[in-house]
Amino acid sequence: MTRITTSNFQKGIFIEYKNEPHQIVEFQFVNPGKGSAFVRTKLRNVKTGRVYEFTYKSGESVVEVFVNVSEMQYLYNENGKFVFMDQKNYNQISLSEEVTGSFHQYLKEGEIYQIFIQDQEAIGMRYPKKVRLMVSEAEEGVKGNTVTGAKKTVILETGARVTVPLFIKKGDFVSIDAETGEYVERISG
Amino acid sequence: MSNLINNLILREKIIDAVREYFKLEKFHEVETPLLVPSVIPESYLENFTTILFDRRRRRKKMFLTASPESSLKKIIVAGLGNCFEITRSFRNGETDSLLHSPEFTILEWYRVGADYKEIMKDCENLFNKISINLGINNSNISYGNTKIDLAPPWEKITVSKALKKYAMVDFDDITGINSLKRIKKIATDKGYNVSKNNTWEVTFNQIFLNEVEPHLGTNGRPTIIYDYPAILAALAKLKKDDPRLAQRFELYIAGLELGDCYTELTDWKEQNYRFKNELKLIRKSNKNKVVQDDTLIKALKRGLPDCSGMAMGIDRVVMLFGDIKDIKDTKFTFS
Repeated sequence: MTRITTSNFQKGIFIEYKNEPHQIVEFQFVNPGKGSAFVRTKLRNVKTGRVYEFTYKSGESVVEVFVNVSEMQYLYNENGKFVFMDQKNYNQISLSEEVTGSFHQYLKEGEIYQIFIQDQEAIGMRYPKKVRLMVSEAEEGVKGNTVTGAKKTVILETGARVTVPLFIKKGDFVSIDAETGEYVERISG
Repeated sequence: MSNLINNLILREKIIDAVREYFKLEKFHEVETPLLVPSVIPESYLENFTTILFDRRRRRKKMFLTASPESSLKKIIVAGLGNCFEITRSFRNGETDSLLHSPEFTILEWYRVGADYKEIMKDCENLFNKISINLGINNSNISYGNTKIDLAPPWEKITVSKALKKYAMVDFDDITGINSLKRIKKIATDKGYNVSKNNTWEVTFNQIFLNEVEPHLGTNGRPTIIYDYPAILAALAKLKKDDPRLAQRFELYIAGLELGDCYTELTDWKEQNYRFKNELKLIRKSNKNKVVQDDTLIKALKRGLPDCSGMAMGIDRVVMLFGDIKDIKDTKFTFS
């Protein structure tokens, strides 16, 4: 644990904000009219992936936390624990559903994810904004149903259920907004 | 490159519209010096300094102006009447930002015999004129994810009401006796990291920037936020009915702070006193030492007529109308 000031801010470093580790996504200096300098930041909570905005006084000190970002392959789900393997040293580490939140339903075996590690413990992962997954089960669209906006539910290769337009077929690849769970588009090929 | 060209043309059209607006309002356009021997002491900003050599290579410390305010006021004292200037301003250290640039283009205008409420109308009318000249529908412009209707009337809210509404802070609780101690207590309770050397201004602005500013000019209309704490208005007249407040407003559109207006302070004694305070703050800081502009005090002594003035960042106006995120993209600049 080290204290740093806003002049040491860099994109990508991790600091403590409201007692939890956050990654600095963006920062810039601002001066309010007739006022001192401040540093406006966007901070991503390492555990939840949520992004917050906070404005520090220029020169204010914060706690820097040392978090490693490791590229890891998702192996399997073992009783609600999601097991990943480090691509470099083959160490295995697991994340609980508490940490992954609803994202676990999009974890695909064999895919590589970025895992945040502090003191040899996985504390979070980088959530992609969108995931690209194959449809493994889908009913045929009902013929003649041309109502605009008509929808059906399909099952993706990871087991997640998602609502999609009627033209989506088994074997299609679709893009899903991981945050809202909403269908974005069909990906050709 | 095409983006730069588009933005340069947009800038040209906006500046044309600004000129047309003030010419129609019968304002004089003036030019004032950028290289000056003394400045308005402002503790929150850093002046550029340079050295002037005379013919005998004698050295004299000079400054680049942080705004044309001092010169324009002297011109008004001389009797020109309503006037405006579009010029460059320089503020050292203001790098690493999407909103600031050490060299930027400023518009300042002064209305003689007017108070800040009349300048609010100028702002509404000026943006109307810009929209017409650009040939855009002023009821539907977007900046980032924010949609804005520029048609008047705009939202007008006092600092005190905005503090209450967005930060749940009572203005009475942070002003008056022991105001520094009390605002620090409130900031600490809110979870801010308050240190011993934090001033009232810094503490106030941290609450303001985090809790109030994100709401300004983002609910579909521009916001004029007015009646600032007296301490945040070095050259503004105080309100007669409440001297804790200064006749100052700021204009926000889609979260962008575009300009700052005062009913100008005309009392030279009060102005001199405030300058001395600012000089003290500069001396205590590690900022470049400045020479106070005594000729402005002399001009005020001769008599500045009642007037109101507004400073507006032209680069930010270009950002707004061009939906541009970074001030550097509004102009041709070094990188």
